[in-house]
Amino acid sequence: MIKTIIVVGGGVGGTMTANNLVSKLYPEISRSKVRIILISNSPWHYYKPAFMYVAFGAFYKDELRRHQASLLRPEIDFVLDQVDSFEFKQSRLRMSSGATYDYDYLVVSTGCIPSPERIEGLQEAGDHFYQHDPARQLYDKISTIEKGRIFIGVTFPKTPNVPHQCGIAPMETTLMLDEFLRKRGVRDQVEIVYTYPTISQLVRNCLFLQKDTGEVLPSIFDSKNIIHKRGFTLASVDPERKVAISEEGEEENFDILIQTPPIRAVDAVLNSGVSQAVNNEGWLPTDRYSLQLDGFENVFVMGDTVDLPISKAGGSCHNQSPVICNNIAGLIRWGKTIAEYDGKVQAIAQMGMDAGMPLWYDYDVDVIPTPPTKIGGLMRKSFNRGVYWSVARGLV
Amino acid sequence: MSTQNPEASSQTLEQLLECLPALKDQATQAGLADLLEKLAPLLQGRRLHNIVDLLAATSDVIEMSDDAMLQKVMALYEESVGGIWMLTNALRYASQQSAANPTPPTLWQSVRKFNQNEDARRGLDVVANILAELGRQAAIKGQTMPED
Repeated sequence: MIKTIIVVGGGVGGTMTANNLVSKLYPEISRSKVRIILISNSPWHYYKPAFMYVAFGAFYKDELRRHQASLLRPEIDFVLDQVDSFEFKQSRLRMSSGATYDYDYLVVSTGCIPSPERIEGLQEAGDHFYQHDPARQLYDKISTIEKGRIFIGVTFPKTPNVPHQCGIAPMETTLMLDEFLRKRGVRDQVEIVYTYPTISQLVRNCLFLQKDTGEVLPSIFDSKNIIHKRGFTLASVDPERKVAISEEGEEENFDILIQTPPIRAVDAVLNSGVSQAVNNEGWLPTDRYSLQLDGFENVFVMGDTVDLPISKAGGSCHNQSPVICNNIAGLIRWGKTIAEYDGKVQAIAQMGMDAGMPLWYDYDVDVIPTPPTKIGGLMRKSFNRGVYWSVARGLV
Repeated sequence: MSTQNPEASSQTLEQLLECLPALKDQATQAGLADLLEKLAPLLQGRRLHNIVDLLAATSDVIEMSDDAMLQKVMALYEESVGGIWMLTNALRYASQQSAANPTPPTLWQSVRKFNQNEDARRGLDVVANILAELGRQAAIKGQTMPED
């Protein structure tokens, strides 16, 4: 009997995993023993990290997206529909269109949703770069500001030891902003204030979610005249007074507020009833090694949807995908999972508009910061402009 | 900028080398001795110069690279890799479908496939368009150009 594997989510995690599954299970697929379906609610595939560059006028929309179907191997059935509900016990998906899909194995890679509305006043007065339109709006502001104060903040999920989206992005954009304003010739008239909340995963009163990197940041920021401040956890924003108010009881004024917003899982995951995450954030309880959904051997979770202490970024998906493919192949062929995720994440941080810093870490070893270089910057830009699409196709 | 005279700096270089903690390490000394043995023929034959020149040229390319150049190079990469990927996918998938039939279709069945399958007809149209474009380019090459 044919086994059906469904991958839900057309982001980089879902796309590369569907492609990698075809490679891994090609003998079964070619004998019609396995079929693979990818379900996405968008006909487009977006390179989400490029939204950050949109905020600096460095990427157009059509440069950061492709037709989803064009990134999939022909053995994959692409379904354009939205999952309404996950019925994990029945191994069934109910769709917005009214259709239902039964599966033997499921990969949940549905990402997360920026939710500034979860902080009072942030939607009205704040900006961010985690989606295209907000990033475009932010560009309009930072490309016209002549003087004033840009206040940068980070909101972590309330679920303990779960990071915000793309851990390094606030630091990257702070350094890019400094250089962007210098090139515009207005840096001396614009104050940049980088802040970090009191609790950031396992560290307290730091400037970054990992201690070693957090400790090198003050000297980098000081050399660029960027003001840095610990212990500012955004509680609310007063749009009229243009003031950010912290849980610690402080008030900070701003002309532009760039705030990494709260995030949550997509509605169907939230409504599945399986999540144990606080604050209705919806992260799925995931085995940190096998990446199986707790209590469901045939369901795997990856990317932003997990409740693991691992960056919600493509660099995580890149290492989780082979583990999930191997484990599904193991279950089909040997009746058990065979691979374990070690928490590895790799990326090339954009340190200013031109420099880059390759980095990697896992469950046990934090990032070891190295000096940013032009070669690192070229590596990052090459990834942005071409290599990413090979990654999504499962080629790299 | 250093203000030391050349004589003083040549003396201090020796002292500096003696002071370097890494050079006092036996493993470092042994490694350096091995490396020098390997490098000696390259140095003597002036062949190491080429490697240094190559490094310099690589460094120059890195220095000269800018956003516009990088975007063009990566567009070439993406078009090449994407194109090859699409073609190999089509070849693999089509071969697999053909291999799945114990007997190949008759000529009449193949013609009917074109008639019934919109994608097959579109594929044929793509091939026809490619041939037309190749023909157009061949015609341009074959044109007699007037002298300036």
